[in-house]
Amino acid sequence: MADDQSERVALAASSAPGGVIGAPVRRGERGRAVPLLAAVPAVLWMVAFFVLPLVVFAFYSFLTNAFYDVAFPLTTDAYEAAITSPLNRTLAWNSVSVGVTTAVVTVAVGLPVAYWLRFVAGRSRVAVLFLITSSMFASYLVRIYAWRTILGSRGLVNSTLDRVGLIDEPLSFLLYSRFAVVLALVHIFLPYVVLVLYAAMAPLGRGLLEAGEDLGAGSSLLWRRVILPVMAAPAVSAFVFVFILAAADYVTPQFLGGRDGLTLGVQIQSNFITVGNWPLAAATSILMLLAFLALYLMLNMLLRFRRLHDLRIQT
Amino acid sequence: MGHKVRTGLSRREFLRRSGLTVITVGAAPAILAACGDDAETGGEASPTASAGGTPQAPDASGTINFLSWEGYDIPVDSMNAWKKDQGIEINPTYIGNHDDIQAKIKAGGDSAGYDLITYYQGYMPLYTELDILTPLDENKLPNLEGMFEFWGSDVNNFWINPDGERIGVPWTWGSIGLTYNSAEVDEMSSWYDLLDPSLDGKIATVDDPAGNFNLACKILGLQSHEVPKDRLADIEELLSQFVRASRGVSPSFGDMTSKLVSGDAVACFHGWAAMNTFAADQGLDTVLTNIPDEGSHSFCDAYAIPPTTQNPDAALAWINESISAEVNAEAAEYLVGGVTVEAAVDLLNEATVGLYPYDDLEGLLELAPLAINAPTQSDEYVTFPEWLETWQTIKASA
Repeated sequence: MADDQSERVALAASSAPGGVIGAPVRRGERGRAVPLLAAVPAVLWMVAFFVLPLVVFAFYSFLTNAFYDVAFPLTTDAYEAAITSPLNRTLAWNSVSVGVTTAVVTVAVGLPVAYWLRFVAGRSRVAVLFLITSSMFASYLVRIYAWRTILGSRGLVNSTLDRVGLIDEPLSFLLYSRFAVVLALVHIFLPYVVLVLYAAMAPLGRGLLEAGEDLGAGSSLLWRRVILPVMAAPAVSAFVFVFILAAADYVTPQFLGGRDGLTLGVQIQSNFITVGNWPLAAATSILMLLAFLALYLMLNMLLRFRRLHDLRIQT
Repeated sequence: MGHKVRTGLSRREFLRRSGLTVITVGAAPAILAACGDDAETGGEASPTASAGGTPQAPDASGTINFLSWEGYDIPVDSMNAWKKDQGIEINPTYIGNHDDIQAKIKAGGDSAGYDLITYYQGYMPLYTELDILTPLDENKLPNLEGMFEFWGSDVNNFWINPDGERIGVPWTWGSIGLTYNSAEVDEMSSWYDLLDPSLDGKIATVDDPAGNFNLACKILGLQSHEVPKDRLADIEELLSQFVRASRGVSPSFGDMTSKLVSGDAVACFHGWAAMNTFAADQGLDTVLTNIPDEGSHSFCDAYAIPPTTQNPDAALAWINESISAEVNAEAAEYLVGGVTVEAAVDLLNEATVGLYPYDDLEGLLELAPLAINAPTQSDEYVTFPEWLETWQTIKASA
């Protein structure tokens, strides 16, 4: 019975006017030419300033280190060093840990906020959206230093807890720890994720939810069979976006990270600037890039496997 | 009992070794490396040493592309007036770490176009190997005559290479010390005081591999440029202890000062007298700096002209002016540092002249000598790249 109800709700989600979005529109050849031309500047820009440098960058990773320089012959030494280094493995684990935690928390917090904005906020929506985006007006470093002020030994949290008698000594784990890095990164990326999810939720019409309710779905079933399937692709996109940026970040860990908060990004920066081993830094970067690409492809395949691919296209 | 380094004047804007600058470096060398030219191809003809004639500063003008710490472009009244008279403009690129200098010059190649840099004396062997230092024409540096004999000398080839060519002009210096908040801890006269269990998690260390290794060598009684390979483990262990006692490694001295002010740290491995002033400017006037019993090391920054220069005469004129008594003194007050020009001492205000014992420089430099970094290559001694790689390991896994 419950399964039947669940199927009906899911079917409604995939066929209701509010749920099926953006049916492909056929255009003539002339109609296609205009968007293609419009895309040319962006494509040229990306090729010149992203793809070509990346190719050169990859080439450097196969050159021989010459201490602040590179030389022939071509070699895979840098890759071998990057993969076999115990330090790199430790830092890679830190990066993954920081990236996954930040991404999970950000999406988990962002999704209900986006839902609230879409269906509950009403007149206060604009004001709340403004408040959410206003945190982006402050620079990245200012926000990092703000967290130091909040989490420090004499910061807002410790002072308050001390004043109300809950602690005798400042809580040291709050700052210069992986916790602090994740907290700051969640704060930095949350507005972007909320905006992405809110935009993705816009086509999710109230009629679709009402159809689900009419078919007997409670709040939990609506989320499970209607909202989450529609939101899966945008949520995964947001997850990947946050994961990559958080795992690769090298500034926040230096200011808030402490010893266990350092990431592979910090090591790459050091290899370039301090150690002067450009092939090693390039090889480590390329390996990170490949790992991120593999993650993206894996999640994409997972979406296909779960038969959500069509919904992803539609949304 | 440690030697106390005194300070106390105000110079607010020098927090330019702060972490705010660090983000500007980032991936830039990578991008430059990807797009750059061969650094070997050089720029305009570099000035070369010549003999004879009355030294005279070049009558140059134009833009000087400057690469160094913020504040080392000497934004003081006397220098500003000279720039205006001369028709010289400074186009600065500020660094967050000394290693940015070699990274940017080597990665950017000629297209970087830097005319003027500074280097800390310990980097002389590295910069010589990397061909970053070009010979300077002493005939265009008449103010060399006014320098203290020591700072003008060829000691350890810091500023004059073994061929007798001048490669740098020292203009500011200071001594590294143990910086602590006297309101939180008693006077600290030994570096090992930092390892007291009561200070666990309350000290700050800085991401300065060369400075840290030089200091560790001094504490262990080793000559930093002649450390046998088998002693590297001892240095690593000592530095690991300091890093373990701290909560993370600060990206800059400015960041360590912020930690002292916020109460997140009570002492630093390592600091220097200017931090007393930086902290006072942020409202904490109880920060002091000692040179502990084991000693420390001193640093001296010199102006130099890299091979990427397009305007060597203007750079030479700048260097010459930086060692005029008036500018040298005003720069020292601004940077809370020492002077290298004898006549500048009389022009210093009371607080700045009291920083260092000018009547006993020899004694100070014996306790805190000018360090020489490890050689870039050696089968016998620990090398500079080994310092750097070891420091990376210490930072992440101490």
